[in-house]
Amino acid sequence: MFVKEKKGDLLPYALILPLILFVIFLALTPAAFTIVSAFFRVQLLNPPTTFSGLENFKDIIANREVMSSLANTFYYIIIGVTLSTILGIFFATSLHRKFRGRSIVIAVLILPWALPGVVSGILWTGIWDANHGVLNSILKSLNIISEYQVFLGQNKFMTIFAIELVQVWQITPLTTILVLAVLQNIPDEIYEAARIDGSTGAKAFRYISLPLIRPGVAIAVVQSVIATLNIFDQPYILNGAANTGNSLAMQTYAVSFQNLNFGQGYALSLLITLFTLFVSIIVAKFIYKKIEY
Amino acid sequence: MHYAMKKGNVTKTAAIVLSIASAIGVTTLAAPAKAATPVTISVVLAAPPLPPEMLAEFTKQTGITVKWTQLDWDSLQTKISAAATANTYFADATNVDWSRVGQLGKLGWFHPMEKYVDTKAFAKDMPQLSSFTKNGHVVGIPYDASFMVTTYNKALFAKAGITKVPTTIDQYTKDLRAIKEKGVVKYPLNIPFAAAEGLSTYWYETTGAFGGQILDAKGKPLFASKSSAGYKAAAWMVDAIKTGLVPPGNINVADSQGQQTLMAKGKVASTFSDYSGNVGSLYEVPSASTVVGQVNYISTPGAKGPASNLGNADGIGIPVKAKNPEAAAKFITWFTDGKNMADFAGASGLSRTWVGYFFPSRLSGIAILNKKGSLIGGDVLAAMLDKSSAVFPQGAPEWYPQFSSAVYTNLHDAAAGTKTVDQAINAIAAVATKLSGGK
Repeated sequence: MFVKEKKGDLLPYALILPLILFVIFLALTPAAFTIVSAFFRVQLLNPPTTFSGLENFKDIIANREVMSSLANTFYYIIIGVTLSTILGIFFATSLHRKFRGRSIVIAVLILPWALPGVVSGILWTGIWDANHGVLNSILKSLNIISEYQVFLGQNKFMTIFAIELVQVWQITPLTTILVLAVLQNIPDEIYEAARIDGSTGAKAFRYISLPLIRPGVAIAVVQSVIATLNIFDQPYILNGAANTGNSLAMQTYAVSFQNLNFGQGYALSLLITLFTLFVSIIVAKFIYKKIEY
Repeated sequence: MHYAMKKGNVTKTAAIVLSIASAIGVTTLAAPAKAATPVTISVVLAAPPLPPEMLAEFTKQTGITVKWTQLDWDSLQTKISAAATANTYFADATNVDWSRVGQLGKLGWFHPMEKYVDTKAFAKDMPQLSSFTKNGHVVGIPYDASFMVTTYNKALFAKAGITKVPTTIDQYTKDLRAIKEKGVVKYPLNIPFAAAEGLSTYWYETTGAFGGQILDAKGKPLFASKSSAGYKAAAWMVDAIKTGLVPPGNINVADSQGQQTLMAKGKVASTFSDYSGNVGSLYEVPSASTVVGQVNYISTPGAKGPASNLGNADGIGIPVKAKNPEAAAKFITWFTDGKNMADFAGASGLSRTWVGYFFPSRLSGIAILNKKGSLIGGDVLAAMLDKSSAVFPQGAPEWYPQFSSAVYTNLHDAAAGTKTVDQAINAIAAVATKLSGGK
């Protein structure tokens, strides 16, 4: 009997073994390697690898290009998280009501999220292009502009805004789906009770929906922060390596694979990871709220 | 009950076995018979696939099938670096760019080609092979003799009343202004100002036209002073976009994009630093061009007369993690054969012509083309090739990618107006000085 129970106990462990190995080898091991290597001088063109303490971190802070990309990334996060959250809540609320063709609208809404960043970047090149772009063509045909305008590469804020719009177009569907899932869990009885008390429409949204979707919004905000913090494909395709749109992830790539200075690359990756963790904790603390019906 | 227990045990055992199997990556129990497996190699280049007829011919000759992948140049360089640093397989044969020979040679990411092919025999027929050699090892084999040339749309120049080909930069600039002023085209000159490699090479060619070089033998900058050719070249390029010779939208246009969407569509009249071979492979191709019969090569206008052209040959090599290096070597030998390269350039008809191919790297290939008279603009190109020189006569430095990044980001900033030419040049010079070991 005792032997049988022991055998039975093995099954759950066996089933989660692939996941445990996956996490150990593909997440924890590289993370540990990155943390340790961040304190070493690892330059492929100038070996050998030696312990360097905090040198990599000091060099990163002193690097003007890194600081410029940090500022750009900050703008990407602010614009991206704000817009995707507001739009995501708006779309989720709209889709919460039942209407004909709702499932088709949801399927279409998901499409941008399913596209690789490179593909969306190429698609939007045709919109922003200053020589032949669709947007310029429309604005000119409507007599809003007399000359084709340059949207990317000249003004830093315009460039970042235009690039981030592309990412917002991509990440908003996930925010929408996350918020919609939480909205659908809110019992109808709560809205009915509110309706009896005279609370409908905007009031019901403000005092019932908005507080109750906080768990979904928190998860959506965290995923938006991670996506915007790691933005790479869109600025790279739309604006090249120019300083006007250079992101922290692009800078990490340049330091690691272009300059072949992996020590600094590891240090920069570590700082990005810590920042993501910090923002996630803040979001969880201030937005997330456990809700039980 | 007994049966049920047995079944339960079998299920549990199967689950455990499957879990372990999936964890260690076992996907099939039947090992493939190696001898029966045909050889397939992966070739990754920043170029469209070879004509199917040619690839089929190679497979018939050798039994090796080629899986061709095209990537843009910048992405390809990233993937080569990422795969090599991660010590993983990427391709059996891939690009060895002239600008990365120093770096790749030092890092040992590619097999020395002399291990697989008779490079000494190749050298006699390939003048640019020496540019692909580092510390006595051949890192890659040049498969074209690409060099930077000037192209002009003679129809648009003629519309502005210009019939004499400009031979100096001053005359060339005056002609472009005349084309603009007469309203032939709004923006007559194509300069790709996107922050990418194409902007760097454009500046190198323009610097050469102004009669100078970029770096000295020790890698120190030769362009920091205002009287230097490099400084004048940067000022000329930035002035061209500020004064409306270059479309303002070119701030984010890459080299091939500008050639395909501006020059090939007759929206600009000239590209000062174009690619040798583009007339035959792009501007004369009706499906891609609206200026068929209008674009010619001209000797690159220089400070006092025609300037020399700078070579930027493309090479192919075998990464150390290649799965089939011997098969890759067979492909490279076939790919860089003189007759085949002549066919790529159009010597034997369209079905064997490789879209976008520039110019054979073997003298024997050029001889075949000239004999058949099938090299478009061949006489001008041959004269330019004769005068052509390397961007870095001492060889590209190991730190070239970092230097080039400084070049294109700073020149882009100057064109966008976020930096002055002075600030941009000083920033580039500071990077070159630091990378070459300080003062």
